[in-house]
Amino acid sequence: MEKVLARGTEAIAEAAIRAGCRLYFGYPITPQSELTEYMARRMPEVGGVFLQGESEVAVVNMVYGAAIAGKRVMTSTSSPGFSLMQEGISYIAGAELPCVFVNVVRGGPGLGDIQPAQSDYFQATKGGGHGDYRLIVFSPESLQEAVELTMYAFDVADRYRNPVLLLTDGLLGQMMEPVSFPEFVDLDSLPDHSSWALSGTGMRREAHRVSSFDMDPVSLEKKNMLIQSKYKEVVKNEILYEEYQLDDAEIVIVAYGTMGRIVKSVVNQAREKGIKVGVFRPISLWPFPYVQLSKWSDQASFFFTVEMSTGQFVEDVKIAVEGKRPVEYYGRTAGIIPTPNEIFAKLMELI
Amino acid sequence: MLEHILQEYQTHIFIGMGGSGKTEIAINIAIKLKEKNENVAIVDLDVATPYFRVRDKLDELKNNNLRVVTPPERYLHADVPIITAEVGGYLVNPKFKTVLDVGGDEKGATVLGSLKNFLDNSKRVIYFVVNTKRPFTQNENNIKKNIIQIEKKIRTKIDFLICNTHLKNETTNLIIEEGEKILENVSRETNIPVLFTAVSEKISDEIETKFEKFPIKRFFKDYY
Repeated sequence: MEKVLARGTEAIAEAAIRAGCRLYFGYPITPQSELTEYMARRMPEVGGVFLQGESEVAVVNMVYGAAIAGKRVMTSTSSPGFSLMQEGISYIAGAELPCVFVNVVRGGPGLGDIQPAQSDYFQATKGGGHGDYRLIVFSPESLQEAVELTMYAFDVADRYRNPVLLLTDGLLGQMMEPVSFPEFVDLDSLPDHSSWALSGTGMRREAHRVSSFDMDPVSLEKKNMLIQSKYKEVVKNEILYEEYQLDDAEIVIVAYGTMGRIVKSVVNQAREKGIKVGVFRPISLWPFPYVQLSKWSDQASFFFTVEMSTGQFVEDVKIAVEGKRPVEYYGRTAGIIPTPNEIFAKLMELI
Repeated sequence: MLEHILQEYQTHIFIGMGGSGKTEIAINIAIKLKEKNENVAIVDLDVATPYFRVRDKLDELKNNNLRVVTPPERYLHADVPIITAEVGGYLVNPKFKTVLDVGGDEKGATVLGSLKNFLDNSKRVIYFVVNTKRPFTQNENNIKKNIIQIEKKIRTKIDFLICNTHLKNETTNLIIEEGEKILENVSRETNIPVLFTAVSEKISDEIETKFEKFPIKRFFKDYY
């Protein structure tokens, strides 16, 4: 397949269109504005809709409305913008609607800066909005993987009627790599949502009702428990991870997204010196591959978590390891990307 | 031809769509200019791109004894468009050869409009950089449309096209050949000549080009 030289943000946008997304609502924010710009140029070419809202609050509610109509819909933003969207995301999860969010994370908290970071991990995986809900979260390490996960995200969102988040960072969003795109999905082959979507009764059926609102605690609890059983299915079926050079590893480096890619070169460096180290890279951050990671505690002497935040992801690693082995941490924050040499030096300190 | 143009003109302006490789070409041209000129300045006018800009290669450029003009250091990573006043000074200083790296797309190029008074008093040449492997510049029609939009924004004509078609480490002879063919067609229809084809110095010996070959160092490499 013919390749193009794409930016991360452009690759994600094109992948969404290939997956059948014809509705995009967005608001520009660095370092993901190129995704919004790409959609503004591209949607008219494919007969889709691009609409810039007056804020991320408006945008998330546009996504809510479009998702209720049963169509594939997406938005993208960066950290502060994603915070603004949290209320709407909670409503969307409560109303059980499929849609895809992209957060190209930058340095925080607050306005922070525009450099790459992974400090929105808690917000992404533990619920940034209110109520008992979950986002399904995928995090790619490369542009090609971002393309695959974006397209897959729409399928997963449809399968569970739940919002899916593609969590990436400014580095992946801005870097350019050769990418090949799969063929366009046939719009007529997309999952049928006519059993619940608000698509017009044509005066031939009862109106559908899609809402997160229920005044009766008993029936709301029943609904919440149904959503929880759906989440159990997600945990059972949707865990994704990569194992790199783990077969004989005595040290397991755990990292995700761009960091997951950077630590692979640390492993190569360490292996040249005869140090038996490998990488466990969760691709789905929720559901987190607790059991799959835990398995390595029989073999490893310790786990070493590297992240572009001050210690968020490491908490899930600790839950997985259950105190059976030490879990070490190294991280940078505020948009500083740890270099392979820096991580390698820290690894040598730990040995 | 390139050699002649470099000596002939005082101000060299690089524009193009986002990610076309303007910055890399601009840096390489500045280094080339330095071979025969005492005073060379490179100006970072990119108000559109957050990463991978001239200012991110400051040390390398200063090692080449180039005068690098960027926003003040404390604002280097600010998410706001800053054009320092000294830019105008370099443009009309006859002792300097000046290279302008202008931000991507028509919005980045808008900056040039604001410098019009200085540019009109400078012997300047405008290059439009194209990588036909980038989205929205993959065929003749797209490229022509972009040229028309950008010329409107900068309120003047583009003088030369530059073929910067590549696919990073996966670049082949065929890819460059196809890129040159597309630009040749664009050139025929717009009457803007293609000045040169940029080729990474790593593969330059193996690549044959239709237009003058300009081997360049690629400054923004793969990230690990």
